[in-house]
Amino acid sequence: MKHILVLAPALALLAEPALANRVFVTNEKGNDVTVLDSDTLEVIGTYPVGNRPRGITISPDGTELYVCASDDNLVRVFDPNTMEELHTLPSGPDPELFVLHPSGNPLYVANEDDNLVTVVDVKTKQVLAEIPVGVEPEGMGVSPDGKIVINTSETTNMAHFIDTDTFEIVANVLVDSRPRFAEYNHDGTKLYVSAEIGGTVSVIDPATQEITKKITFEVPGVLPEAIQPVGVRVTNDGKKVFVALGPSNRVAVIDGETDEVKDYLLVGQRVWQMAFTPDEKYLFTTNGNSNDVSVIDVAAEEVIKSVAVGQQPWGVVVAPN
Amino acid sequence: MKRILFALTIAAGPAWSAAGTDPEWPCIQRKQPHLSLGQVWAGPVPDDRVTELARDPRIDALAARLEQRRLPMEEAEAAIADFAADADDARLTALMVAVMGKIEPDRSALIEGIARYGRSQVALAQRIEERRAQMAELEAAADPDFDAIDAAEEALDWDQRIFTERQQSLTYVCETPVILEQRAFALGRAIAAHLGE
Repeated sequence: MKHILVLAPALALLAEPALANRVFVTNEKGNDVTVLDSDTLEVIGTYPVGNRPRGITISPDGTELYVCASDDNLVRVFDPNTMEELHTLPSGPDPELFVLHPSGNPLYVANEDDNLVTVVDVKTKQVLAEIPVGVEPEGMGVSPDGKIVINTSETTNMAHFIDTDTFEIVANVLVDSRPRFAEYNHDGTKLYVSAEIGGTVSVIDPATQEITKKITFEVPGVLPEAIQPVGVRVTNDGKKVFVALGPSNRVAVIDGETDEVKDYLLVGQRVWQMAFTPDEKYLFTTNGNSNDVSVIDVAAEEVIKSVAVGQQPWGVVVAPN
Repeated sequence: MKRILFALTIAAGPAWSAAGTDPEWPCIQRKQPHLSLGQVWAGPVPDDRVTELARDPRIDALAARLEQRRLPMEEAEAAIADFAADADDARLTALMVAVMGKIEPDRSALIEGIARYGRSQVALAQRIEERRAQMAELEAAADPDFDAIDAAEEALDWDQRIFTERQQSLTYVCETPVILEQRAFALGRAIAAHLGE
């Protein structure tokens, strides 16, 4: 009898048709994280996470959730299931965005105020290196093989290529004004860097560090100054690229083979960051001024829902399977 | 004296530093002089006929009602649904054009007002600086005129008080364009929900 009772919940889990993942959204002004269910698209709960949370990421095994608490000048680490704080990591002042090495360690943090990228070991909680970069570092990307970390500096207008073994800058690429985000495609053959004021996305060949194309945007009925590219996400097959266009309230859908814009989807207000579910069925976007998250059906390239979250949503990450 | 200088530095610090591209813009929020239809509307692009329709008195009156922020969104949505019952996509688009025709000029005037507000704060800060210099001069005189010093101090106190109070309301003032954008976006979403019905 007891055995059956124990087995029953396990069987119920096996019978679950789609795997639901938790979606975590930082609310910059609300000082909390809203957790959504990727299957029902309903809010599970809202949890305090420190002051001015912005960048957010999760370990590849899904056991640790990292949040840049910008006004606390550190990274807070949470249990993604209970949302209890486990410990903190040193980050340097005003951490905004970071990227985790594909192996899950270390963490590379952009410090906007002191022009450094801080490298933190997430296990020993020690700072491994502080790498001087350009003025106002912000965007962080990592190559799929983990050998190169990209940092973009908002004022110097460069993408810095950092060797993850030596912690040294091996190349700099000048892009357009105020680069905000860097994202590799899955096989590492292309690097996309968005420029918020320049209004473009530079496509860079990582092997030669040369710009092979500049993607520009034009939305009918929208003034050009409102088109401010920030977040970039690429599907695993490299065929679709999504670019969040800030106060134009649109997400551009780009053909990842030709790098031509196919469509502009109206999401919410001031869209900055995005995250896919592991199966790439959905893409979630954070809309800072309408205080909601839009859910994009990736295959249909359509916005299917908007979910109200906290005050000024900034970053988003989806738990792995 | 020292106290005043300190207070001024604190009050002026964050407001002028985060101005972005326009040095006279006093808000932390990025200055966006105009709002365009495409930012809040993914429906049909209005043609001449729709622009003409937007002047229809019934549409214009409804737009004027919807624009009022004191009208709760639930009631606005209900009014839009009533209108949509016998309105085609052209009329719905015309309603959105009419709504934007009201919100956008209000917002632009507000942006201009905030810029003026910012400029007048800069001017006031300069005047406070001058008054301080004047007071220092009066105090340093070999035979100080205490009546003049008292008068100068009172004038300085008033300017300082006005400056600080205006600075405190700036946070709220800067939020207002965003509130108008949110209203336009919410109305756009509510109207677009009835397209193609």
